[in-house]
Amino acid sequence: MPDIIVPGMNATDRTSTLIRGGRIIDPASGLDATGDVLISDGRIKAIEVGQPLSVEPDTRVHDASGCLVVPGLIDIHVHLRDPGQQHKETIRTGSMAAVAGGFTTICCMPNTAPALDAPEHVEYVHARAREAGLARVHCIGAATLGRKGLTLSPIESLARNGCVGFSDDGDCIENPDMMKSVLQACAATNSVFMQHCQEKSLTIGSVMHEGAVSLKLGLRGWPRQAEEMIIDRDVRINRDIGCSYHAQHLSSAGSIKIIRDARSRGEPVTGEVTPHHLLLTDEACLDYDTDAKMNPPLRTEADRLKLIESVADGTITILATDHAPHTMAEKQQPFDDAPFGIIGVETALPLYARALVESSAIDWPRLIACMTINPARLLRLDENGLGRLEPGGPADVTIIDPDHQWIIAPEMFHCRSRNCPFNGWTVNARAIATFVGGRPCHVLEDSRFQSPA
Amino acid sequence: MMHRVDTMTSMAMTRQQKDFLSLEHCSPESIIQLLDRAESMLPVVRRTVPATPVLAGRTVANIFFENSTRTRCSFEIAAGHLGARVLNLGTAGSSSSKGETMLDTVRNIEAMGVDAMVIRTDRSGGARFVAENVRCPVINAGDGTHEHPTQGLLDLLTIRQHIGRFEGIRVAIVGDIIQSRVARSDLHGLVSLGAELVLVGPPSMVSDQFKEVACGPGSVEVSHELDPILPELDVVIMLRVQAERGSSISEGYTEGYGLTGRRLEMLDPGCIVMHPGPLNRGVEISDEAADDQGRSVILQQVTNGVAVRMAVLSSLLERP
Repeated sequence: MPDIIVPGMNATDRTSTLIRGGRIIDPASGLDATGDVLISDGRIKAIEVGQPLSVEPDTRVHDASGCLVVPGLIDIHVHLRDPGQQHKETIRTGSMAAVAGGFTTICCMPNTAPALDAPEHVEYVHARAREAGLARVHCIGAATLGRKGLTLSPIESLARNGCVGFSDDGDCIENPDMMKSVLQACAATNSVFMQHCQEKSLTIGSVMHEGAVSLKLGLRGWPRQAEEMIIDRDVRINRDIGCSYHAQHLSSAGSIKIIRDARSRGEPVTGEVTPHHLLLTDEACLDYDTDAKMNPPLRTEADRLKLIESVADGTITILATDHAPHTMAEKQQPFDDAPFGIIGVETALPLYARALVESSAIDWPRLIACMTINPARLLRLDENGLGRLEPGGPADVTIIDPDHQWIIAPEMFHCRSRNCPFNGWTVNARAIATFVGGRPCHVLEDSRFQSPA
Repeated sequence: MMHRVDTMTSMAMTRQQKDFLSLEHCSPESIIQLLDRAESMLPVVRRTVPATPVLAGRTVANIFFENSTRTRCSFEIAAGHLGARVLNLGTAGSSSSKGETMLDTVRNIEAMGVDAMVIRTDRSGGARFVAENVRCPVINAGDGTHEHPTQGLLDLLTIRQHIGRFEGIRVAIVGDIIQSRVARSDLHGLVSLGAELVLVGPPSMVSDQFKEVACGPGSVEVSHELDPILPELDVVIMLRVQAERGSSISEGYTEGYGLTGRRLEMLDPGCIVMHPGPLNRGVEISDEAADDQGRSVILQQVTNGVAVRMAVLSSLLERP
C-alpha cells in the first residue's frame, strides 16, 4: 500500500520542532504522561517523559503545557465532492478543513462524479491531495461499478493503487448475492468493506426518523429497521467469508446489539458513529431545519444514549464524521427537497469531547484511540506508522487544548459549505496545531502557538 | 442545545405574528379570537350585510403549487369580500413547471409587490419555508401532510356553532389520519381547547404515536374500531383516503371505517357529521350520511371556510 506523501515530507523542513511539556497520549503504546516530543526530518525523533529534552540550535520550541499531544487524528468517513461536485467542496478545501479540525489523515468516500471505481480516478484524488499538501488523503474505492450495485469494481487493482477500503457509501449494496461477491473480493485483498446500511424499500421518500416528531411534521418516517436488517443480513453473509466488515454512521440502538453479538462471537465486525448522532435527536428537525436532515436520520434520546454507551463499553471503536458538504442553495429548500448530510471535520473534536468526555462516558485516552489507532488499524494505515506516536514514525501530531472554549461559527470554516446544525454552540477543546509529516499545516491564530516560546 | 431551543421558540413566536402557518403554534385565546372574528364575518358571507372593503387597494397572491379548487375559491371569495385584489397562480403552465424553484417563484411574486401570500404546497413545512424567505405575511393553505390551519379553524367554528363548547366534548376523526393535514390541524386545535379526541382508522392509517403529537388540556385516543365509539360522540369527522399520497383503499375499508347508514343510526341524535371534502361517496361516507339533513353540516363547513379566511386575512393585514 503506497503511502500518500505530502510535500512536507518530500521537501523536508530541516527545522526541528520541540513540543514541550504537553500531556502526551499515545493509545497504541498506552503512554499517557507529561513530556516532550521532538520532530525532525518529518519524523518523530524522540519522546521523553522523564526529563526535558535539550534544545539544539535551530529548533522551534512550542510550549504545550496544559495541552494534549496526540497522534494526528484520522477520519475514515468524509465526502470531498471532488471530482464532480467542486461547488460543494474540493480536495483542497476539504484538506484545509481537516487539518484545522486536527485531522492529519482523511479517507474520502467514492460517491464522486465519476465514482472512485477506477485507478485513474483514485490517482486524480491523490494528485489533488499532493497539490494541496495538507492532510493525507486516502481513497475508499467504490465496491461496485458506478456504485450501482450491479457489477463488481476492479477491487484488486484499486487496492493495489491505493484504495484502503471499499464501500458504495451513499447507497447500500442491496442485492445479497452482490454483497457476498463484494465481501469475498474485499477479503481476498485483505481490505475492509464499509456498508451504508439502508434497506431501500423501507425508506422510499423517507426524510427523518419515523416517530412522533415525523408524524407531527407530516414528514415521511425512516424506521430503525432499515439500518438494523442490513447489518443483520451482512453479518450472516459474512460469517462464512470473514471479511473485515464495518457498519458506517450508526443511528439505531438496535444496530448496536447486532454488532456487539457479532463481536462477542469473535467476528471481524466494527462500527462507527458520528458526532451528530451522539448529540442530536429527531427533535432537531422540529423547525424543518434542513441542517438536521441526515442519512441515516437523527433518532430518539434512547438511541442517542445507547450510541454513547456503545462507545463507552467498547462495542463501537471508531469515531468518524460523515463530513458531507452541501451549498446553502441546496439546503435552502423545503425539507423534502434538501439533500442529506452536514459538514463535520472542523467540529468533530469538540463535539466528541462534549458527547463522550464531558459526559464522563470515556476519558481522553480512549477518545483519542477511537480517532487514531483504531481507525488506523481497521484500514491498515498503522502499517505505515499512522495512528501512533513512535520514534522513527511519521510526525503526524495534533496538539489539542482541551480547555479552549469557542463558539462554532460556520462562516469562519475552511470548508466550502456551511451546512452545520451546531452553529452558535459554545464548545470546549480545539486543535491548536496540526503537524503532518512534521509540517505545521494548521496553527490556530490567537493561540500561543503562533509565536513560539 | 438549550440555546438553540430558545432561539426556535422566539422565532416561532415572531413568525406567528407575521404569518398564519399552523394551529399547533396558536394559543387557545388566539384561536377563540379568530373564531369570534369569523363569526362576525358570517353575515357578509351569507350576503345579508354588505361587505366593508377593509383591504381595499391590497393584493393577495394565491400561490398554489398543488391543485385545489375548494380552498383556492374560498380564499379568493374571502379576499374579494374584504376588497382586496387577488392574484391567482397555479403551477400548471407556470415557471415551476419549467423547473423554477419554489424560492425563486415566491421571491419573484414578492418583487412584484403583494401584501400577502396564500400558499398551498405538497411539501410539509413548505408554507413555513416560504414565510421564512419573504417579508409579507404568509397564510398556509395546506402544506403536504403537515397542517391545513384554516380548515382546522372552520371545523372548530362549525363545532362551536352546533355543540356550543369544546371542553369535554367527544370528537372522532375517522380515516387516513397519517396522510391528513386536516387531521393534524384539527388535532392541535381541539386538544388545545380541551376536547376528547378519538382517531380512528386501520393501523396503516393511524399510529399510536399520534397520542404524543399535540399538547393541551384535551386528550387523544387511538382506536382501530369505529362501532364501539359511535354512541358517545358529539362530532364525527370523516376523511378521504388519499390515494394521491400513496394510501390505498383496501377491500373492506367501507365495512370497517365508512360512515354507512347502519352506523348513522348508532350515533347520538345530537352528533354532527363533518367532512373536509372532496367526498368519495360510497367509500368513507354513504349518501345517507353525507346528505342527512339533521346531522350533516358539510356545506355549512364550506360557508364557514370563507368567514374563517376573511378573519385570518383581515387579522394579518388590517392596519391598526
